[in-house]
Amino acid sequence: MFTDMMTLTKFVATENGPPIHIIPGELFHIGGFAITNSMLYGAICSLLILVLLITVARRMTVKPKRGFFQLVEIGTDFIINTIENSMGSREKAVRYAPFFASAFFFVLFSNWLGLLPGVGEAIKYSGHPVFRPFTADLNGTLAASTIMIIMVQYFTIRESGFKGYIRHYFAGSLKNPATYLLGLFEMFSELTRIGSLALRLFLNVAIGEIIIAIFAYLGSFAAPITALPFVVLELFVGALQAYIFTMLTIMYLTAAIKHDHGSAESVSAMTGEATTA
Amino acid sequence: MDLTVLAKGIMMGFGMLGPAIGIGLIGSSFMNAVGRNPEAAKYFGQVFVIIAIVELMALLVFASLFII
Repeated sequence: MFTDMMTLTKFVATENGPPIHIIPGELFHIGGFAITNSMLYGAICSLLILVLLITVARRMTVKPKRGFFQLVEIGTDFIINTIENSMGSREKAVRYAPFFASAFFFVLFSNWLGLLPGVGEAIKYSGHPVFRPFTADLNGTLAASTIMIIMVQYFTIRESGFKGYIRHYFAGSLKNPATYLLGLFEMFSELTRIGSLALRLFLNVAIGEIIIAIFAYLGSFAAPITALPFVVLELFVGALQAYIFTMLTIMYLTAAIKHDHGSAESVSAMTGEATTA
Repeated sequence: MDLTVLAKGIMMGFGMLGPAIGIGLIGSSFMNAVGRNPEAAKYFGQVFVIIAIVELMALLVFASLFII
């Protein structure tokens, strides 16, 4: 019976296991720098997003249009509302919206463009797939989250001055030695935030890719049918992760500006949102 | 006998335990809150944010499967 099953699996699954990649593949080298497939696709996606969003912004009218315009409008409105709920002022929301909206759209379209059929194992060059989603690479998400956290520091300094920025970490009486210890912990938590933001986005997208690869492999000739539910799931997860990535950064910024001390990942920032909503 | 397979099994089992309990608690307290106060149902979006925070641990375990 077991051998029968073995022959059946050999018949159904033709390759040696599903293609699983945690690290991106190096395509070619330019002056000693390795260009990986996710870097290439990230650059292509960035160009595409830039062109699309600039075109949409140029043609934006007061009367709402249908199609892609509507998607961008809904997304931007959604981000402005999220910031407004979190910070409690429309004026601040409009001021910070360009940065957070572009971050949101970048992550959203990076996730969604990674689900296109040509991305992955279909097209290969020197043993590696040519395209790989930008967010399915830890280096990419680490760079994105580092920029987000650095911009949060910059916005905090601009909002409350350098002294207020330092006082945000070392809050409380300056004669108390515990203040300095807690301040150092607060500073260290910025680093862990970079790591947790990057890991969350990377793992969600990379594991989605792995799950799609596994189910496409199991399905063999029926791969489109078996992989389709997971592609649809990944559409949802991609949008959710883009929202969470922006939402958490907005919460970090709100916590840094408001000077109430508590971890931004705790529920306190959310209840603050709930009372103003 | 290849012990890596056993290690992967143990890691999946124990590693998924915590996040599973965590997500269960989130869901149960959300349902509790909605049961007490049906207006709280509008915070369903917040539930997903907290789930994503908890889910990170489960994803770390799952990604470790392909590294060890």
